[in-house]
Amino acid sequence: MQIMIVDDERIIRESFFHWFQKSGHTVETAASGAEALDKLTQAPFDLLFVDIKMPGMDGIELLAAVKERYPETLVVIITAYGSIESAVNAMKIGATDYLVKPFKPDQLSLVMEKVAQHQKRSSEYNYLKGRLEKITRFDNIIGQSAAMTAVFEMIAEVADSDASVLLAGETGTGKELIARAIHAKSPRANLPFIAINCGAIPDTLLESELFGHQKGAYTGATHDRKGFLEVVGGGTLFLDEVGEISPKMQVDLLRVLEDKTVTRVGSRRPVSVDFRLVTATSRDLDAQIDAGHFREDFYYRINVIQIDIPPLRQRKADIQLLADHFLKKLCHETTKRVDRISPRALQLLEAYDWPGNVRELENAIERAMVLSKSRMLDEADFAFLQPPGKAAAHGPALRDMEKHHILDILDQYGWNITQAAKALGINRVTLHKKIRRYQLKAGSRDNQ
Amino acid sequence: MPDDDRVDRKKPLVTVIPFGQTPVIAAKVIAAHISGYLNMDAETLPSMPIPPDALDGERLQYNAARIIETLEAADMTNAFKIVALFDVDLFIPLFTHVFGEARQNGRVAAISLYRLSIHADGSCPPSDRILERAAKIALHEMGHLLNLLHCADPLCLMNFSDTVDNLDQTPFNFCRYCRRSLHRALASP
Repeated sequence: MQIMIVDDERIIRESFFHWFQKSGHTVETAASGAEALDKLTQAPFDLLFVDIKMPGMDGIELLAAVKERYPETLVVIITAYGSIESAVNAMKIGATDYLVKPFKPDQLSLVMEKVAQHQKRSSEYNYLKGRLEKITRFDNIIGQSAAMTAVFEMIAEVADSDASVLLAGETGTGKELIARAIHAKSPRANLPFIAINCGAIPDTLLESELFGHQKGAYTGATHDRKGFLEVVGGGTLFLDEVGEISPKMQVDLLRVLEDKTVTRVGSRRPVSVDFRLVTATSRDLDAQIDAGHFREDFYYRINVIQIDIPPLRQRKADIQLLADHFLKKLCHETTKRVDRISPRALQLLEAYDWPGNVRELENAIERAMVLSKSRMLDEADFAFLQPPGKAAAHGPALRDMEKHHILDILDQYGWNITQAAKALGINRVTLHKKIRRYQLKAGSRDNQ
Repeated sequence: MPDDDRVDRKKPLVTVIPFGQTPVIAAKVIAAHISGYLNMDAETLPSMPIPPDALDGERLQYNAARIIETLEAADMTNAFKIVALFDVDLFIPLFTHVFGEARQNGRVAAISLYRLSIHADGSCPPSDRILERAAKIALHEMGHLLNLLHCADPLCLMNFSDTVDNLDQTPFNFCRYCRRSLHRALASP
């Protein structure tokens, strides 16, 4: 066990040191609360013995700081000036036990037994938590809230059938992940999964992408090309932002769904196709139908089964799981060492409305990590999150801030990627990805 | 024992010293146990006065840590390890009392008969029980002086006994792991 003794009396520190050394523990000592906090930033400790009466930061203040920053570290309060009041106070803040100096050797034995039991329970808890984490991950979708559990159940139910599924949910809720999960659980899992963002492709191009074309069908069509409806070859076709496709394309797709054949642009010969269709929308399709922008017959064809993906603000029980997951993922991708999120910061994350949903949460964790100099993300690291109501414009603002920050660092290091990546606390590959994502170029500041 | 003999000794020598009014018989019993269980040479010296600065005026107890420091500084070059035996109440600043105290891998152990001479219920045990307890504490502290740590096995002398009842239940026995550590320590003292 890693133990630290915090007491301003040298003789007490020495007594403890020799005592725990004889039991094979690794012992450190600190003469003040500040020194203890400093040592805690350098190495983890399982157990602290903290004297209440110390100059500067007293033991109770230190206990509060330790519980705030290192909630898993156990603290036993020791004092020569014992009182029920200070004992109750210490236990309320989270002390594991309380000893009045000098104490009988068997009292210390009892405390150590208690600590050992606590550690055993804690490792059992972590084991169960790990198992729970596995259960709460559904093909990379993380969630343990009632809303997400219902989604997982739906996925399991619909996966086996060939019925078309419409995923309805706000932007950033992870609709593509759910589509992939449906595919992965289906009998088509070994066949292709093709995702197309209908909102990002012009209508004419989308037609060619989906249906393919015959050589000479139009200028530039120099050879025959299969469309995704053929290429998917028995797999799953995921059409994201299906509400964006034109009425003409809706008719064409409706025909494909009914006939299970596709005719390439410029050809008259239909080709048989086999695919499972999963679509997604962040729009209100009922309203689109009412407004005459979306065909009702197509809607019913793609909406055999609808799964509503809850926005993050309706599944706040998942925020800690998601935040921990992104933290681990980003630590893995970068050289940054950030271990945890403070309880206060977590409260802030849970209070925020997340208009950009899970994607915005991931961006927020990444931004906080990039700029943080500590191993723990605190409230201040998320100061950029606006109060609910003003948050609608956050996504782009966050991206702009990151983009400008990266550009600043790149300019500062004369576009030396290695040095800039080091300064940003990310690896070179990640920096290259970000440069590509934001289309950054040397001297492009004026255009940013 | 003449000094010349000591120079040629092959086994390391442990010196057991009674302090104050401590009965010499207790020192002899301890020396016999160290010799028998640890296969070390052990001698007893005549009683010595308790270092006066060991008494803590506020607690009216004797500071074991200070006694150890004093004896470590004393010129006793012949002794590989020293066991100091007391009949007064010993403490270290952390604890209300100690039965014995030694630094890990140190040179001096201090042992007190004071609390070994009373049962948990306040009654007095026969003298052979007190000597048995003192020998167990001495072997335990000798273990620390030979760099052994506390042992989790309740049937091992290196298990920490915080009450006389626990001590009475501990047999004269080092578990096989501690015995192996002892052999290693004694092979290269």
